[in-house]
Amino acid sequence: MGGYGDVQMIDENGLRVDGRGPADLRPVSIETGVIPVADGSARVTWGSNHAVAAVYGPMEAHPRKIQRQDRAVLDVRYNMAPFSTTDRMRPGFNRRSREISKVTADALESVVLLEMYPRSKIRIEIEILTAEAGTRCVGLTAASVALAHAGIPMTDMVVSVASGKINDVVVCDLNKEEDNYGEADLPMGILPNTGELVFLQMDGDLSPAEFQEAWDYNMEAALVVHQIMVDALKGGDA
Amino acid sequence: MAIPLVPQLLRAHLAELAENDQRHDGRARWDSRETELELGVLQNAEGSAKVRMGDTIVYAGVKFQIMTPYPDRPNQGGLMCSAEIRPVAGRNWEPGPPSPESIELGRVVDRGIRESGCIDVDDLCIIPGEKAWQVILDLFAISDDGNLFDAFALAGIAALKTAMLPEVKFEMSDADRPLPVSKTPTMCSYHKVGGRFVYDADGKEELGGDERIHITLGDDGHVHSLQKGLKGIFTADEFAEIMEHAQGRCEELRQMILRAEG
Repeated sequence: MGGYGDVQMIDENGLRVDGRGPADLRPVSIETGVIPVADGSARVTWGSNHAVAAVYGPMEAHPRKIQRQDRAVLDVRYNMAPFSTTDRMRPGFNRRSREISKVTADALESVVLLEMYPRSKIRIEIEILTAEAGTRCVGLTAASVALAHAGIPMTDMVVSVASGKINDVVVCDLNKEEDNYGEADLPMGILPNTGELVFLQMDGDLSPAEFQEAWDYNMEAALVVHQIMVDALKGGDA
Repeated sequence: MAIPLVPQLLRAHLAELAENDQRHDGRARWDSRETELELGVLQNAEGSAKVRMGDTIVYAGVKFQIMTPYPDRPNQGGLMCSAEIRPVAGRNWEPGPPSPESIELGRVVDRGIRESGCIDVDDLCIIPGEKAWQVILDLFAISDDGNLFDAFALAGIAALKTAMLPEVKFEMSDADRPLPVSKTPTMCSYHKVGGRFVYDADGKEELGGDERIHITLGDDGHVHSLQKGLKGIFTADEFAEIMEHAQGRCEELRQMILRAEG
């Protein structure tokens, strides 16, 4: 969090810089089958965020030392394209993308029925083509749709949303300015059918009441996004 | 890139088709796949394009940085072109430092654009010897079904032609101005499949084929870059034949870019 608490981001009518009310999501649209050579794929545009995810596998896990006798391993990579940010992003892994890849894998391993594919590997590739705050959430959501599109069995799809706080107001689905200047950020990965969580991070400063409000915003938003995910999968390939 | 096993059955199948002057997807020898070009598709890039050729899909994005001019060229800015084929693009592409294949891709596209002289590097100088614009063209594949070269070259020059110098962001003036790009070099690639060259090979033809030749031509039909890749021998007659096709097809691709620009 930038901690620039004096930047005014909520106007006198309670509206945010992009005209949303505190509880409103940015526009979300999802399309499947956008990477024809992959076994499953999805494109998610979420506000100005633009992410694609591809799934390859299940396939033979090699080198053999990574194989697990009783289950599949997930090989998850989150990456930002060099032109995805305002200042060019130097290609290659950095500490941030490694951490996000790891927590994304941790989230997805909690829902994919790994024991159905012993000794195999499922590759999940998340590429952020345009970044506008909340890319880890958009990436995780895209990966869930791509897994479903690939026909990989899961207990549920993960929906990921981040709410937070700006000018002491708790708001749903932070945009870029709110992420930069806000006081808190709470990204969650939610299983919409049960309300359980598989991914949780937070940074900033929230009172217990504010935390609960942000939590509830995420839960409500997850149901909205889940419906868009289901519709995209039912709509078939683009 | 992991070198996949080359199925001998595929090679034999492609050779048999070639004897009857056929291709596995029904195209004639010089036919391209359906090619689509979209401009301005990446919101955080200063210029961008997306190209789809069959199941091959690539993006090109232009970003700008301020550089110190090279001591021997104090009045010039620079162009940097790099291709990245991340594992998202196909099951044989692996993570890690750039592979020789992706470096070759970036460099061949770079040469075609650079040598055509389409970018006036003198115009990119801001303060001689101190400050100049560096144009960075990033080529990014999300789906590789063969012939990334032509897809990258098409997306690359189209992205440059739509790029705006971000003078406002860098506090140099009140308005951004278009990057001056005076020419439209285009590339055509040919793969030897079943003993004869074909245009715009797809993934299967690349897998079961032999050497490839890439030709970049300028607006006036002048040659700006050539590259022969992979193991194989070709004759002067074969080269003359593909060069003749390239003269026509490069012009068609150029017209496609000009139409998209509107």
